[in-house]
Amino acid sequence: MEFSISGNALKSFARSIICLARVGNELVVQASPTQLGLHTLNASRSAYQSITLESSFFDAYAVQGPQAHFSVLLKAVCSVLRTPVASIDHMSVQLPDHDASKVKWALECYSGMKKTYWITCNVEPDIQHLSLDRRRFPSSLVVHPRNLSKLLGNFQSSLQEITIIATDQTSFPSDAASEIGGKAVEFQSYVDPTKDGDSLLHTKLWIDPSEEFLQYTHAGDPIDITFSLKELKAFLSFCEGCEADIHLFFEKAGEPILMAPKFGLGDGSSSSFDATLVLATMLVSQLQEGVPPGPPEAANSTGGNAAEQVGSEPQERSRQSAFEQPSDHTRVWSELSGTGTKSISGSEERPQAQGQQDVNIQRIREMDISKGGAPAGDNAPGPSNSQRPTQMDHAEGSRVRAENNQSFSQRHPSNWVDASEDEDEDDEDGVEATPPHNEDY
Amino acid sequence: MNSSPAIEQDAPDLVCQLDNVQGMVDALTCVRWKRHQDALVELSEHGIVLIVEESGCLQAKVYLQREVWISPKPSNSIHQTVESVMLYVCEKLFTKYEYGAEGRPRFGISLGLLVDCLNTFSSPGHSNTIEIKYPGPDMELLLKSVDTLNSCIYSEIRTRIPETSEWDYNFEQAGTAPLTFTVKSAALKEAIDDLEWPGSSVQISLQKSPPCVTFRGEGHGDLQIDFMYYANTDLLLAFHCDTEVSYGYKYKFLKAITANIPGNVARENRGSKLTIGRGGMLKVQHLVSVAKALAPQVESAGYQPPSRIAYIEFFVKPEETA
Repeated sequence: MEFSISGNALKSFARSIICLARVGNELVVQASPTQLGLHTLNASRSAYQSITLESSFFDAYAVQGPQAHFSVLLKAVCSVLRTPVASIDHMSVQLPDHDASKVKWALECYSGMKKTYWITCNVEPDIQHLSLDRRRFPSSLVVHPRNLSKLLGNFQSSLQEITIIATDQTSFPSDAASEIGGKAVEFQSYVDPTKDGDSLLHTKLWIDPSEEFLQYTHAGDPIDITFSLKELKAFLSFCEGCEADIHLFFEKAGEPILMAPKFGLGDGSSSSFDATLVLATMLVSQLQEGVPPGPPEAANSTGGNAAEQVGSEPQERSRQSAFEQPSDHTRVWSELSGTGTKSISGSEERPQAQGQQDVNIQRIREMDISKGGAPAGDNAPGPSNSQRPTQMDHAEGSRVRAENNQSFSQRHPSNWVDASEDEDEDDEDGVEATPPHNEDY
Repeated sequence: MNSSPAIEQDAPDLVCQLDNVQGMVDALTCVRWKRHQDALVELSEHGIVLIVEESGCLQAKVYLQREVWISPKPSNSIHQTVESVMLYVCEKLFTKYEYGAEGRPRFGISLGLLVDCLNTFSSPGHSNTIEIKYPGPDMELLLKSVDTLNSCIYSEIRTRIPETSEWDYNFEQAGTAPLTFTVKSAALKEAIDDLEWPGSSVQISLQKSPPCVTFRGEGHGDLQIDFMYYANTDLLLAFHCDTEVSYGYKYKFLKAITANIPGNVARENRGSKLTIGRGGMLKVQHLVSVAKALAPQVESAGYQPPSRIAYIEFFVKPEETA
């Protein structure tokens, strides 16, 4: 297969590569006669980015046979694009045949120099596919990247994970007596309780969606999502470069979130170009029982246990891969859960999944990510695929860990008891610490 | 201090004044590829030459010539008006140059120390005049600022007796005609920077037809950079090749050739001349401007003020072919 690009398309391509390089290490290129797909999956399998380019995006595009694919290191591609794009007249990429060991990238520069790179293909590419239907996400928001940058600028630059708490805008009027007012969305810094000497700075930001976001949709009970900031920032720069807004789709803790650029009306480039970033979210909800995130509205429905607010569980802070089959509704509480602070109402799915070993393993396995492009979940243990937990994964309790012996965690479960208590305190303090509006100046 | 050396035995070998220290710093920085380098300095009535060498494979020379004949505006006609008679200008690099030695004194000095020391004399935005004197009472190199009225910066740098080993690289022409090309220094630097990715060895090839220079590196990936003579008239400014040749050089030595070229070289669009000699010895010549920063109004239409130039020469031995 081969293709050739120049001009603005080349700029977009370079921007795409830079963003992909900030997410993962390996670039998988899949070419069909009508489009080219660029994907990457990060090492901990918690972030997946995909960029699709229609054949019209290119100056020239040809694929021999039904499809062609190869996989190279993103670092190598970044070396090719080290030459400033402004000085490149055009770039052409060629894979001579299906089992070629090297891909040829040729740059013709305005200065007259011709640079030809031969990048070695990875021998056994880890070709994954993840397709999530955007329509399955009930909630979403659209924000201008620069606005989002500004909001994120309030947080420590070393912050790794962030929590977004979304509440229903209509559930309280904007002139409510509460200090939070109409600020239906909250950003919270997420601090890993197990890391010693970690951030002493916790930040919370209440946001009025009508002021800061271009669009905001969320109905029903408050939900929260916690995910990695690094990939979000990479995607932010990418959207800013494309002059598009960021469209964020989400559901709740534990479910993946999806981001895509939202082009303005009449923007021609949007037709031949599509990008999505899917991030895993933490399984454990940050919303504490009885302590609502923003509005002082008490937890609704079932007694002391708000339907969507999950109490802390000392032993079962399991954060599982969010790439689960959405159809797997049967999440079973583990016998270990002695706190009994949750209840499973029939229709609601608890994102927390403890359970028998088999169910656990199966859940990790049943991602939409599968080898060879088949979207269906694969129950058989794959060699490199399934059992590897994401970076948000960690073994719950020692017992569960023993059972689920394939999970290797970065976080010690033994700290959970203290951690949860801290989190409770923090949240309470956090709510109280909101600067009152009636301060005298 | 102009009496004959025979009478005044303690007259210094050299007293000279330079009115743009930054220029000298720029020129010497070009050959600074390691933190600690020993340089050999040779003084003569023509100027100062500084030689640096590494592991028998790479040598660099900086020529700070007393007088440089340069042509600011090329022209062939001799019937010119008064203004344009100044076709060949004798540019004096040094505002004062008094040479009192017999023969050519040589001494060893630490290059890093010399450059760092010169840097202290140079303040940005100003043109600082310094006086260089050799030898001092204990064979030091003496530097002194001479343009400030109320203060003076003074430094002594220890010198060494130079090694006796010959650093002459004996560059000889390859065949009947030289194999040479001149390329924009900025482009050369860009190409060598890009070649960092593939590996540790770079093959330079000259091809007769179509006239083309190729740099190729192979390693965990391959990169080939072609400079086609006919591609762009600005890229290869000159090209002479009657036999096709190809030699390999260590990347780190090629990197040393372009790594520290000062910004003004790229800005002034200068070219670097590369010649392949017998056995594959590579000679690279750069021109570095050491002129004072002139006021903008001096540049009238079409007339470019003559720049004071320092010549930098590099010699690189090819890799042993297996």
